Amino acid sequence: MEHLAVALAIGISTIGPGLGQGIAASKAFEGMARQPEAAGNIRTSMILALAFMEALTIYGLLIAFMIMP
Amino acid sequence: MPLFSVFMASSGGHVLFNIGPFAVNSYMTTMVAITIVIAVMGILAGRNIKTVPSGLQNVAEALLEMLNNFLTSLMGPKGARQYGPLLGTFFIFILFCNYSGLLPMSGHLPGLAAPTSTLSVTAGLAIIVFFCTHIFGIKEHGMHYFGHFLKPVAFMLPLMIIEELVRPLSLSLRLYGNIFGEETVTAQIFGLVPLGVPIVMQALSVLMGLVQAGVFMILAAVYISGATGESH
Repeated sequence: MEHLAVALAIGISTIGPGLGQGIAASKAFEGMARQPEAAGNIRTSMILALAFMEALTIYGLLIAFMIMP
Repeated sequence: MPLFSVFMASSGGHVLFNIGPFAVNSYMTTMVAITIVIAVMGILAGRNIKTVPSGLQNVAEALLEMLNNFLTSLMGPKGARQYGPLLGTFFIFILFCNYSGLLPMSGHLPGLAAPTSTLSVTAGLAIIVFFCTHIFGIKEHGMHYFGHFLKPVAFMLPLMIIEELVRPLSLSLRLYGNIFGEETVTAQIFGLVPLGVPIVMQALSVLMGLVQAGVFMILAAVYISGATGESH
């Protein structure tokens, strides 16, 4: 049962950030295509935003480690 | 302490030998080797500097210029000049650490394991960033620096302190989680199909190692420029 909890902890915690990162990346690419001269700025901000979203998954991974039997 | 045991049980954590009271494991030997490699490369690149660069000096100058341009776009010319050496060192060291996991038999050969795939190393780096941020902030603004914790409204103080304390946690866990996960996935795929297929994952690891080293540097730069900036 605890194994299931570990799998669910990391599995569910990937859903939200996955969707969020997809939306953020698609919007950023849209912006880059419309305004190629701003591509550098947009890319840096996008990587920063993706890193913050990724932290949520990493917290899920931490919880998975902590409750691992 | 199940959390601690997980980190110790991962592949490179076996104790190789002891120096006095300190146990030395594969992560530490790899880290020392990386430090020596970077130092030797630096010495070789800077040994006889010419106006028209060639060979290793050329590579080093191109890398430095790229880093400097990038940091200038993040924190301005003054910030890049002042904090560039620290942030660039983070980037180069973490990049080498991440790529050491791509070497053959890394993590299984005693004495060779990617140092960033253990929480101890990444936490150490994140704690350096944490203290540097506040020390640079105090250096720049004096005692006024602590005023910015009360800036929008004073009752936000507990939230601001929690935010400051969560930063090193997420910084270390992000790097550790990504590199450890990558190493584990590559090892599992190697266990399933040893020939050919792991190359795909390794190619992805080359990109991810670069991105993660970049993310660590970008976040450290943002934290430092937030603490030293004009906004407070």
